[in-house]
Amino acid sequence: MYRLALKTKRLLCLSLLFPLLAACPRGEESGVRGVLLFGEYPLAGAQIEVYLKNDKDRSTLPFAVTSTDSEGRYRLTLPAGRYYLIGKKKEEKAGRVRMLMAECPGNPVETDAAIKEIPPFSLMEMGQSGSLIPDPGTGVSGRIVAAGAPVAGAFVYIYSEEAAGLMGPSYGEAVQTGDDGRFRIDLQAGRYYLAARRRADGSRMGEVQPGDLNGAYPGNPVTVPRGTVSSLGDFPLKTVDGGQRQERLSQGKFTKTKTFFSGRTVDQDGNPVSDVYAFAYLDSRMVGKPSYISDPSDDSGRFVLYLGDGGTYYIGARSTFGGPLEPGEWVGTYDGRPDHGVALSKDQSLPLGDLVVREVW
Amino acid sequence: MRRALVLLLLLLPLPAWSLTLTSDTLWEGELSFSETVRVEPGVLLTVAPGTVVTFSGGRLEVAGRLVARGVRFSGQDWEGIVLKGCDAATVLSDCTVEGARTGIFVGGGAPKLERLRLEKNDVGMEIKQKSAAAIVDCRFSANSRVGLFIKDEAAPLVTGNLFAGNGKFGVYIYRALPRMLSKNVFTGNPTGLMISHYGSDPRIEGNRFEKNGVGIFVDRAARPHLQGNWLRGNETGLRLYRRSDPRVEGNNLSDNGVAISVAYSSYPVIAGNDFTGNGSALVLEFQSSAWEAEKGSVVRQEEVSSVGAFGRGARNEVSEAERRPRVLDGTVDARGNWWGPKETAEMERTGARGNPASIADGRDTPTFTEGGKIYPLDTVRFAPWSKVPLTADLEKLP
Repeated sequence: MYRLALKTKRLLCLSLLFPLLAACPRGEESGVRGVLLFGEYPLAGAQIEVYLKNDKDRSTLPFAVTSTDSEGRYRLTLPAGRYYLIGKKKEEKAGRVRMLMAECPGNPVETDAAIKEIPPFSLMEMGQSGSLIPDPGTGVSGRIVAAGAPVAGAFVYIYSEEAAGLMGPSYGEAVQTGDDGRFRIDLQAGRYYLAARRRADGSRMGEVQPGDLNGAYPGNPVTVPRGTVSSLGDFPLKTVDGGQRQERLSQGKFTKTKTFFSGRTVDQDGNPVSDVYAFAYLDSRMVGKPSYISDPSDDSGRFVLYLGDGGTYYIGARSTFGGPLEPGEWVGTYDGRPDHGVALSKDQSLPLGDLVVREVW
Repeated sequence: MRRALVLLLLLLPLPAWSLTLTSDTLWEGELSFSETVRVEPGVLLTVAPGTVVTFSGGRLEVAGRLVARGVRFSGQDWEGIVLKGCDAATVLSDCTVEGARTGIFVGGGAPKLERLRLEKNDVGMEIKQKSAAAIVDCRFSANSRVGLFIKDEAAPLVTGNLFAGNGKFGVYIYRALPRMLSKNVFTGNPTGLMISHYGSDPRIEGNRFEKNGVGIFVDRAARPHLQGNWLRGNETGLRLYRRSDPRVEGNNLSDNGVAISVAYSSYPVIAGNDFTGNGSALVLEFQSSAWEAEKGSVVRQEEVSSVGAFGRGARNEVSEAERRPRVLDGTVDARGNWWGPKETAEMERTGARGNPASIADGRDTPTFTEGGKIYPLDTVRFAPWSKVPLTADLEKLP
């Protein structure tokens, strides 16, 4: 009886699979190929990373990676689908390290039943701190205003695409406005998206709070020709409203789901520590933007970290987010495993117990 | 004649307020709030002398102007006063701010903060974002973490203040450059003044450090100029740690357990100072040019400042070339100081090749072991030495 049931199940599975198998092209590869350039020249030994999601800081591991050959060519077979391609190369010349990088202008790239030819695109040089090496006399200028008045001390961020909501680490170094609200950003020629924020605490990074000023440039994207500093005029910001923020926090990576970790942030003596965020990374290095962030822990130190899917996550906790650790911050990791990782299934909730955080001075 | 719209708030306390001030406002009497109060840009909030403002949550956030004299701002579980880019027209004087996470947060601008008492906050005052605030004649005491925290390229004027009995640090300077830090008194703090990280190179002049755990602590490649300070009765007067190369000139270091402690590849210039009555004048620990040449660069790559928040992945903000010592000859330069009458007599007797009892260095402990390997401990160049005291004029300090 049991054997019959098993056979029936197998037949059922095969019958369900058959239409899918029949739909797959047989004997044909799908994927991408193309050429990476630096300036006008093919770039050998560069890396093409392929992502499934358009996550700006690429803190997740790429879906696939390959390198360019001596003529700058690459070729990758991929299942039919939608992908985001990034070209990268780190090279050292005469003791100077430089990072070349660019997103494929055609992102997202759709592949189906064939190898798709991607138009050549050129990598750009990033500065040591991630800032761009600008073209001479090239960039944008403007004035940040709020309610018609200039905003001093706002940070203006530059992004190469907008899918991540113009949040998170910017493409180049953020520029701060002067007392007259004016700014200038030197850039390479290209197409960019601008956002600007002024936080009450004066920070360069971190979640905006009610009362902070925030905005995206209304004329995005901005095309910057080589040799021209484009004047953008006034770039208006609005005060962040508490209700809008709550609405945003209920979406995206903050969405409440049935898949979550819970726990408590405590100090080394076991006392609860409030206002600490728990972070979940998919990348075991735990650098860059986390995939999921909890609300700050409450007065009992309790937090719930909602996740979009099951998997192995690497868990950290910190009292702020963005930027290097500063004195006075609380920081810690989940130490149930040496790599700070923990696995759970979709729709599973898992208590992590106490995450011990320490104050860094 | 311009007339300001004045809102008088009388017959208070008012419970559970949350409001944004969009026109000029006067506060008087007793007020209580449980949520944030915002002062919009261009708006003046005046708080009359004798007013008591109590928060049970939220903060007083000022993007316009705040003028408060003789006011008490207090509460529990509140965030404190936030001054956002306020210019010198914002003046707080003779006020008390207590019980907040950060008593006064100054983000940019140049407010005047005079004769304030910052007490029993987590952090008494935090200055950020290139602020040029003036902090004059204030008292920072019993704050559980830091009295005054200066960060993020802020350049305040800090003079005439008292930092007493704070939980960890009287003042913490982190990647900032106060345009003046002088005539202040630091007492009863675990660390009176902390100067940390590359880029923190202020001039610290004419201050008094008494009865602290450590008077001045210089860490992680900071290079301040310490001149004309009085460091007396501290467990350690001056502690130099992890590639800190200050100029230490014309200070009086007396009656400390250890006057100056030097560790981990710190190469200061110590000249024209008075060392009298200390348990030890100069102590070298884990300080070796050989270690620095072999391992300094690698160890620095692993420091907190150069890695991600959770300890993995590079974040190089300061190049190694900027932090590398300029001279590595196995010595710490402490020529031209007055070491006290008894100590000087010993130096005269034993000469430049002697081993003064007040200096603990490679002459006393030739080597130390780290990672199973033996490294030579550096020695102190103490000759020539001054034959007379050098800092008698420091008696005039506050």
